Amino acid sequence: MTFVVTDNCIACKYTDCVSVCPVDCFYEGENMLVIDPEECIDCGVCEPECPADAIRADTEEGMEPWIAFNEKYAKIWPVITEAKDPLPEADDMDGQANKLETHFSENPATEAA
Amino acid sequence: MNVQTQSPAKILPDAQTVSSVHHWTDTLFSFRVSRPKSLRFRSGEFVMIGLLKEDGKPLLRAYSIASPSWDEELEFYSIKVPDGPLTSRLQKIAPGDEIILRPKPVGTLVLDALLPGKRLWMICTGTGVAPFASLLRDPETWEQYDEVILAHTCRTAAELDYGRTLVEALPDDPLIGELVGDKLKYYPTTTREPSAIEGRISDHIRDGRVFAALGLPEWTCDSDRVMVCGNLALNKDIMGLCEGYGLVEGANSDPKHFVVEKAFID
Repeated sequence: MTFVVTDNCIACKYTDCVSVCPVDCFYEGENMLVIDPEECIDCGVCEPECPADAIRADTEEGMEPWIAFNEKYAKIWPVITEAKDPLPEADDMDGQANKLETHFSENPATEAA
Repeated sequence: MNVQTQSPAKILPDAQTVSSVHHWTDTLFSFRVSRPKSLRFRSGEFVMIGLLKEDGKPLLRAYSIASPSWDEELEFYSIKVPDGPLTSRLQKIAPGDEIILRPKPVGTLVLDALLPGKRLWMICTGTGVAPFASLLRDPETWEQYDEVILAHTCRTAAELDYGRTLVEALPDDPLIGELVGDKLKYYPTTTREPSAIEGRISDHIRDGRVFAALGLPEWTCDSDRVMVCGNLALNKDIMGLCEGYGLVEGANSDPKHFVVEKAFID
């Protein structure tokens, strides 16, 4: 079992989840985070913390594509171990539909200038 | 030239030293370890602890810190699984041995995740009593609540011993006995052998037995707060009951009326 990050994270990237993860299994893309399904210990502490309610247990219906998605990007994105400020438009983007199609970036996060 | 003697380098990274071990039954034991000076945590949180495997890699599991945030040592309470990759070895530790402890405490069962309330219900099964062992010995808990109820369900009476011993010692505790006063109510149940109270706590809530026995009203959002730490089935049951009473799940970032944590099993 694992938890997975789903589309409402995109373009919000609040990162509250990172502060509470005991095993640092979040990986950071340009505008989204994912969980490494192999590293996740399934403790569930991140799930209620996400202001965008973007985290789900993989046992919920419809999560299979998200498991593969999280696994794919966890391999190529850098680990994130500390929370940071949400993206500037986070509150506006929270709840927007179709962010995967319209906003998602495959790029890993870059070091702040 | 001055040569400072240093304490011997720890054998394991993030290592802490075991100071005492207590075996409660053939499937339960508790132990205390040194506490890293820089470790701050809130009562109710857990950390990753474990041992090195034969291949040199750490095998870690989440364990609630069973001691309160002010204690100079850390206490843990564990099951013993005969073939369990971690606990089959962990159960053999002795004073002087080292365990690995990752110093990032986290968790949902913290006072901060709940809005102020009158009564705090702590509901658990088996080793799920561990985070409550921490919270019950923290003065903060007694300052925030008028009443605290520990409802602990185990298969047998012997499995209740760790929790019972702690509860019985509380009113006389030199540090917090006065704060505890008569605020604590204890509701232990067994499921596999006869005892004073039998059955699963979820059933006792559902049919009102626990409220009748303790002389307390059924849950309301105004007064009651609930913390749950049990197996998946119990957690699901109690969450359903909480929601049935109109209570809403809280989090560190958004405190509400109840919080849930999986009782981690090896």
